[in-house]
Amino acid sequence: MKILIIEDEKGLRESIEEYFTEDGNICETAASYAEAIAKVNVYRYDCILLDITIPGGTGIDILKNIKQNNYPDGVLIISAKNSLDDRLEGLDIGADDYLVKPFHLSELRARVMAIIRRKSFSGNNLLLFNELTIDLQAKSVKVNNVPVKLTRKEYALLLYFIANKGKVVSKNAIAEHLWGDGIDMANNFDFIYSHIKNLRKKLMEAGSNDYIQAAYGMGYKFTDQ
Amino acid sequence: MKLLARYNRVTLITTVVVMLITGIIYYIAIHQILINDVDKDLEVEENEIFEYTRLNNHLPQVFESNDQQISFYEAQAGSVKRRYIDTLYKMAPRTGRKWRHHGERYETGRGLITAVATGGRYYQVLIVKSTVETEDLVQIIFGITIGVILLLLFTLFIINRLLLNRLWQPFHNLLKELRSFNIADNKDIPQIDTTIAEFKELNQAVTSMSARVKNDYTDLKTFTENASHELLTPIAVINSKLDTLLQTDNFSQQQSKLLNDLYTAVSRLTRLNQSLLLLVKIENHLLEGNRDISLKPIIEEIIIQFEEIFQDKGLKITSELGDKQLHTNPYLIDVLLNNLVSNAIRHNHKNGEIRITLANDRLSIQNTGENIPLQTETLFKRFHKSSSSEGNGLGLTISRQICDNLGYLLEYDFQNGLHTFTVLF
Repeated sequence: MKILIIEDEKGLRESIEEYFTEDGNICETAASYAEAIAKVNVYRYDCILLDITIPGGTGIDILKNIKQNNYPDGVLIISAKNSLDDRLEGLDIGADDYLVKPFHLSELRARVMAIIRRKSFSGNNLLLFNELTIDLQAKSVKVNNVPVKLTRKEYALLLYFIANKGKVVSKNAIAEHLWGDGIDMANNFDFIYSHIKNLRKKLMEAGSNDYIQAAYGMGYKFTDQ
Repeated sequence: MKLLARYNRVTLITTVVVMLITGIIYYIAIHQILINDVDKDLEVEENEIFEYTRLNNHLPQVFESNDQQISFYEAQAGSVKRRYIDTLYKMAPRTGRKWRHHGERYETGRGLITAVATGGRYYQVLIVKSTVETEDLVQIIFGITIGVILLLLFTLFIINRLLLNRLWQPFHNLLKELRSFNIADNKDIPQIDTTIAEFKELNQAVTSMSARVKNDYTDLKTFTENASHELLTPIAVINSKLDTLLQTDNFSQQQSKLLNDLYTAVSRLTRLNQSLLLLVKIENHLLEGNRDISLKPIIEEIIIQFEEIFQDKGLKITSELGDKQLHTNPYLIDVLLNNLVSNAIRHNHKNGEIRITLANDRLSIQNTGENIPLQTETLFKRFHKSSSSEGNGLGLTISRQICDNLGYLLEYDFQNGLHTFTVLF
């Protein structure tokens, strides 16, 4: 997949680029309005990560440009402006999603993957990972055609893992993804462990390989290697 | 004491005292003048007697008249000293129905005692004139004076009341404006319609003060907002770098503990920052977009959302939810409910209880916890939190602000070991 990162903050841009760069992915970056508009008008991307406040213009203008030209690129706005107006404006104009800074890279990636899936698998709602088949429309999971009954959160967790496959995902990131801001009041993330244990057990009982590895007590890694 | 009452009292007392003194002086002066007149008349009479005796060498015939009596008494030569006296004037018995029952009557009089020598004998002469008419005159004058005093007092009183009330009206208007002054809203203190220089000055001072205060307040808010905003980017960078760091291999036990602590700290920083930004936005009324929402499904959703956390802490949750429709900002309602439920979880003990009740006029969230009531006066203050709290101390402040903003009441109560937060719609 091909991704354009429009973000003026160097540290953040590099982190995102590094997180998304892997075999088969192409990441390009733009640090200013001019640079971004030049790239947007020449190349097509699966997903554009768009910061609202960039030097030389605003992300909203870039988004308008994309929509006026009917470019099919997916657009994910990443912004420090956590205002409802901005969010609504961005989504109204045609952004696919909106993520507020600061965010976990794994969350960003899960959102990007969701956008790309929506864009590219239109009509085909099946997500395949080795022996796992996930029907995104029906929200059901099969292992080698054996249905696995997952709870809503276990299903979300599996999708999150697959979107971040091969990456270590921190417990914080998982907790925030599944429980949102409410996770604030949990003193520890021990209950995540039992959640992951359940998911792993259900998948393996249905005949799946064990893809979930604990990573140094800080998080988990979903990998087939 | 009201200024008007104070002023009235002072002016009235002063007026009465001054008028009384004036009246007394007036009385004495007029009395004196009239007595002098009578004395002159007496002297004229005396001279007439002297003239008569000098010419005729015997005492004149004494005529009784209505207002003057002259009497002669023989006296030792040189024993009489000439002097004026205040005396009584014995009225001649009068005839006529009016006087029938009175017999002898006395009036005030003024007398002159003098002496005359004639025919080789020495007489004491007493001339008495009735001063009753003089006294009447003085009394009338005195009466008129008192009348004038009373009239003046009454007039002053009325004028003070009407005029001062009217004069002070701008002041009262201004006071009303000051009472309704709210630092957070956009209404300025208006120009009061007055021609009185003092009130104009006061108005100007108040207006400029309020403008200054508002300005400072806005600056402060802007600063908070900007500071929070500016913090977001570095926090985002730290967060992303941590995520990236996590991808590099092989951490020791110690390193992963450090990383975990870092994650936790950054996560708290993020939340604190977002809470501050949210608070500024609510205070600035920046969140708009009311919609019709039904509370019941939202609360049910939250209960499901927190399910694992309830389980983790062994909390028993009971809810009794009626239907309640609101036309309000869904985002704020979401934050409010999340905050209140989070609080109920955070300040609960293991295997505690949470009860959520939704009725048509109220939503109450009750939880077990420490068995002492919270301090209501500090409860909703910024950054006030119990030492054991993991929160940032802004949750209840935000909840209160949201309720204020949406026109609801947020109340706290502690009964039978249950902390209760109630939102009154």
